[in-house]
Amino acid sequence: MRRTKAIATLATSAVLVSLAACGGDGTETGEGAAGDGFKGAAETIAKDAERQAPAADVEGATEGGTVTVYLPDDPGPEDLDPTNGWSVTGNSIQQALTHRALTQYSRDDETGEMVLVPDLAVDLGTPNEDFTEWTFTLREDATWEDGKPITAEEVAWGIQRSLDSEAFPSGPGTEYSVHFFAGAEDYKGPYTDKGKKYDAITFDEAANSVTIKMETPFPDMDYWGAFMAMGPAPLGKVSDPPEYGRNPLSNGPYKVESFRPSEELVLVKNDAWTPESDPARHQYVDKWVFKFAADPTQTDELMLSDNTESQTSISAAVTSENYSKFTSTLGERLVQQSSQCTSFWAPDYTKITDLNVRKALAYAYPYESVWQASGEVPGVTRVPANSVMPPGMAGKSDYQVDGEQITFNPEKAKELLAEAGAEGYEIHMAYATGSPTTEAAQKQIEKGLTDSGFKVKSYPVPIETSLYVIWTDPNNKINKKLNLRGVNWCSDWPSGLTMIPSLLRTDATYNTAFFSEESMDARMKEIPTLPQDEQAAAWGELDEQIATEYYPLIPTAFRNDLFAFGSKIGNPTGDGALGAPNYKDLYVTQ
Amino acid sequence: MSQPTAPETLGTLTDETPVDPNSKRAQEVTGKSPLQIAFGRLRRDKIAVVCALVVLFFILVAVFADLIAKAFGVDLETVSSCEVLECNFASSGVGYPKTGPPYHGFDPSHPLGIAPRTGADNLAHWIYGCRTSLIIAGAATLFASVVGIVVGLVAGFVGGVVDKVLSFIIDFFLTIPFLLAALIIAPIIIDRFGTSDSYETIQILSLIGILSMFGWMTVARLIRGEVLSLREREFVHAARVLGMPTHRILFRELLPNLMAPIVISISLMLPAFVAAEAGLAFLGIGVTGSASWGQTIANAVPYWSNYSLYLWAPMVGVVALVLSLNLLGDAVRDAFDPKTRR
Repeated sequence: MRRTKAIATLATSAVLVSLAACGGDGTETGEGAAGDGFKGAAETIAKDAERQAPAADVEGATEGGTVTVYLPDDPGPEDLDPTNGWSVTGNSIQQALTHRALTQYSRDDETGEMVLVPDLAVDLGTPNEDFTEWTFTLREDATWEDGKPITAEEVAWGIQRSLDSEAFPSGPGTEYSVHFFAGAEDYKGPYTDKGKKYDAITFDEAANSVTIKMETPFPDMDYWGAFMAMGPAPLGKVSDPPEYGRNPLSNGPYKVESFRPSEELVLVKNDAWTPESDPARHQYVDKWVFKFAADPTQTDELMLSDNTESQTSISAAVTSENYSKFTSTLGERLVQQSSQCTSFWAPDYTKITDLNVRKALAYAYPYESVWQASGEVPGVTRVPANSVMPPGMAGKSDYQVDGEQITFNPEKAKELLAEAGAEGYEIHMAYATGSPTTEAAQKQIEKGLTDSGFKVKSYPVPIETSLYVIWTDPNNKINKKLNLRGVNWCSDWPSGLTMIPSLLRTDATYNTAFFSEESMDARMKEIPTLPQDEQAAAWGELDEQIATEYYPLIPTAFRNDLFAFGSKIGNPTGDGALGAPNYKDLYVTQ
Repeated sequence: MSQPTAPETLGTLTDETPVDPNSKRAQEVTGKSPLQIAFGRLRRDKIAVVCALVVLFFILVAVFADLIAKAFGVDLETVSSCEVLECNFASSGVGYPKTGPPYHGFDPSHPLGIAPRTGADNLAHWIYGCRTSLIIAGAATLFASVVGIVVGLVAGFVGGVVDKVLSFIIDFFLTIPFLLAALIIAPIIIDRFGTSDSYETIQILSLIGILSMFGWMTVARLIRGEVLSLREREFVHAARVLGMPTHRILFRELLPNLMAPIVISISLMLPAFVAAEAGLAFLGIGVTGSASWGQTIANAVPYWSNYSLYLWAPMVGVVALVLSLNLLGDAVRDAFDPKTRR
């Protein structure tokens, strides 16, 4: 999943993000008041297939009020089509407030953990023995904003749309539907392959159920079902892209009043929605206003001022220079949220062929200084990373490629370079220009590399252009010259399946290192077919094996987020599954 | 300019009270050129003298930037930010310098403090920012005035179709909105030269190019107008009758009489360019590779409430330089203007 907010761990301007797990057992919880350093995420997301509607009331919750959410430096989603949504910002808002799917997440008040509960389905789906066929029975009382009931056919149609990689190039279906649904290789989706019959997704009007056949065993279908792309879409022309993305039909507790991309999204109550039809959502607030691409400094000042406007506001980010002010003035209202994300440096596997040079790069990256320069709080929003799989993910191995945590060590880097006979190795990298943070971070990186005996050639790219546009386009003239790229990736649900293949499979879109080893590809194909309880460990082992044998990706950081809540926002909490404020359970105190 | 010939025009420039023609002083006066007279006036203008000193100070800082930076023991070298900045989140000053303002006392090794995030020395950036500012403004002024003077002279003197065409070009350039053009050109340059080795130099050259491209028109118009009125004068006719070549008439006869408008327009163009350079850098489309006041200001704005010194230094630099250049320009205009009586 993609995060559009400008970040600069790598001087990049976008992050691929997602549905991360949260919560935590025992002392290290996934969220809570900030001030104690980095927080790890929970191992897995618990499941509660029995959860019944309506959702339990939040203690002390009152109705009414308008909540304004500021998203500093984050342009938000380009459109609102549920099938196309694969960004933390867009999905967290839409899935919580406007668009329902087969399943959803709900926050457990006592533990602070997220729990996977039913949404449009009455349970979490019924798989067959080997997870190659899933059946979801739908609830009868869910409706669209116009009051019409949601039918099984509409849900099946919505799911079928996700197979169209051409109509929805940035949708999550391109990764999961296309790889797991039966016969997806020969079917390009309902818009590209118009009129072609696709029979892996079927519905039964009488039983009000939808059945999906899988190409290979897919035990994680219930998690994949929590994406709004696995929800209904109206039949016929109404849902044609891209028009539908501008004003999609809502079915959650709120509907879209107005949407201006990169500026503002206003949501108002959807009267057709009833609490009795939904096991996890609430409708306390009258109106939501989301301000995209807000100015970070102004937002900070506003949140710190505690004036009438900011009392009912939320900010989805805090700048490092105001971090200590926020911790002292907001206290419990500054929520630090863990999310299962890892940032990487990706040396080109076809160009930087020497393992020692790749390792030297890991020692040449000035970790803390780069975080500091890019406005992150070292030790809080960024901590050193050792593996591809982020902390909290089941099966994550604590291996250390070089025996101990790799830190900035120019001497060691020089030694490794000398060993490889590559002193003065030339590094070609791109960075975003036009933003003080990305430029400052790049300066730190250049210094680190030069101090470590590398030569650096940097290619500036205007910040309006996402670096991913360059990194993922093989014909880009700058990309052809690069031998060092990057990628920031978050899990879509707590499984190595959403991390390793997406980053390291041959020809995967975000495999910016161009890593390609047949034996590893084979193993990635094999692991999902293993017994379910062995998979997590197998992913962890594969992670370690790839790192120790090839070291194609240099993990630079594990990540946390900071959210600031106004003093009149009730129940200030974060959603660990999405790495966003917990919109479902918020209210305005009267 | 109603006097019939050039010498008399010059004579009226003096605002001194008439003196006895036989005295020593009177004889000195008669030998003065218009420039000398203007200088004499400037010297007696207190504001002009103070402003000139301020401008001189900035010029010296720019010229001797290396020496001054060395004397203070500061430089532009990138430092690892965590070496000089507080990277421990548990400390109250996280993100701010470990020594010096805002949380600690004065640090002699960094007189103006250290920049948050990058850990760069503020004084070094101030000194080299001054150099960048003056180089860009100076070069842009030079180009803009040379182009403006040549175009104005030719258009005014030749007249006819040439004048029509040149006037059209002048008007055309005047209609292009400067900021919009600059905003559009910046990414094009990055795209074209981003992969080249001398990107930073190209950035500075392109900025000089953009500034002069949109600065020459006013000079050209002014000069054209002056030439139009001068070319019908007797001394020009006389030169023509004598068979002087056109270029000689232009540069030997007309140009010296245009000194006043040229000096005035240059002295007002300089501060405008200094401000424009800082403004463009603030918008992120100016110099990004090397030190620049505008860029420092852009970076410092978020720190205003916690670390005001960071913003004050470049602000004072820009304001002092622009203000003194402007006041000096005004004084120069007054000094050259025969109608001014003070």
